[in-house]
Amino acid sequence: MKALVLDGGRECDLLTPVAVLEMISALGERMDDVELVPLRERAIAMCTGCFGCWTRTPGECVQKDDAREVLRSYVASDFAVYVTPVTFGGYSSLLKAMLDRCIPVLDPRFTVVGGEVHHRLRYRRYPKTIVLGTLPSPDPETERLFTSLVARNGLNLHQTFEAEVLVGVTDPASARRYADQLLDRAGVTA
Amino acid sequence: MNALLLIGSPKGKKSASYMLGSKLADGLRDHGVTVHEAIVHQELRSEEKTGRLLDLVDSSDLVVLAFPLYVDSLPAQLTRFLEQAVGRGDRVTHAGRPRLAVIVQCGFPEAHQCDTAVGICRRFAESTGLGWAGALAMGMGGSLGEDFRKLPGGGKNILDALHMTAKSLAGECDVPDEAKSLFARQLMPRWLYTMGGNLGWRLQMRENKAKRPIGYRPYAQG
Repeated sequence: MKALVLDGGRECDLLTPVAVLEMISALGERMDDVELVPLRERAIAMCTGCFGCWTRTPGECVQKDDAREVLRSYVASDFAVYVTPVTFGGYSSLLKAMLDRCIPVLDPRFTVVGGEVHHRLRYRRYPKTIVLGTLPSPDPETERLFTSLVARNGLNLHQTFEAEVLVGVTDPASARRYADQLLDRAGVTA
Repeated sequence: MNALLLIGSPKGKKSASYMLGSKLADGLRDHGVTVHEAIVHQELRSEEKTGRLLDLVDSSDLVVLAFPLYVDSLPAQLTRFLEQAVGRGDRVTHAGRPRLAVIVQCGFPEAHQCDTAVGICRRFAESTGLGWAGALAMGMGGSLGEDFRKLPGGGKNILDALHMTAKSLAGECDVPDEAKSLFARQLMPRWLYTMGGNLGWRLQMRENKAKRPIGYRPYAQG
């Protein structure tokens, strides 16, 4: 079993590194293979909205950078874990840049999911997605927004994502407890 | 009144976001508002340019974000700009309270798929001390071409919504509910949009001389 962890933490972020480390540690006890991608250290250009990945080179972005290898690894994983500072209820721009570049894994043709129109899936199987957000202090409205964004992202992949927001968690023991709870909920077993 | 139109689409002036945003800007100008325009991703290319754009945000009475929905949210370029604006939070807050309005369109038929993106913009406004003026959100963005007159019904609902919104924002009021409702109205039946969209992808593939089938799986195992 393989897990891919996308670390969307910025340089100045104090909370996300703890969440990432403890998530990696928790995954390491349940998986054979855990790959960490610190997005701030990768060359990942932002999506240009050209739709070349659907209409020029179907399934592959026309931009040749690190995002291609991340996507290859994503498709080969059993679990994908996003870790990000919650940014106005959304993802950090680092993680968002990678997620915007993930649309090649979808087929452009439309289908109906949960009563709404979404895109068809390109692959037969996708990793189960788990999202861990970090917030410095309680902010229920931002947490609610983040949770609903994650749920909507799940619809795009025709699955249910699992999410948790760590509020003000700086000690490793608490971060580990949350990571374990989240993995239990997502059905990640040793 | 000074307004700033920020285009959050990486396609810049060739985008549906610009088509909609510039029409709103025209309406604001008709009501005596001075409107500056900027393509966000171009201003992120250097710290100096970003700094100048943030100064412009500080000195505006109204900021309008026009962008396409990317993965249920804002394009990464726009997210990065908002992060940088918060990095200078004191300046934005202390320079007064510019108001923030949003125009967002998505490629799915349902306008409500834009709700999380609108919520994110609203939280940004609240985090930085900007006033929240509201949002226009629409689906079926894939049918927006370069000319409103080619849309079903001549794009009347969209144009009326933008005119109403321009008048209201110029009068320092919020985006009217009637404008939100008109803007969100579907341009055509859902089945027609999805059928046309599916055909459109094939036609674009042919134009691009794509060598792979539409459902090709470059990263499939085995």
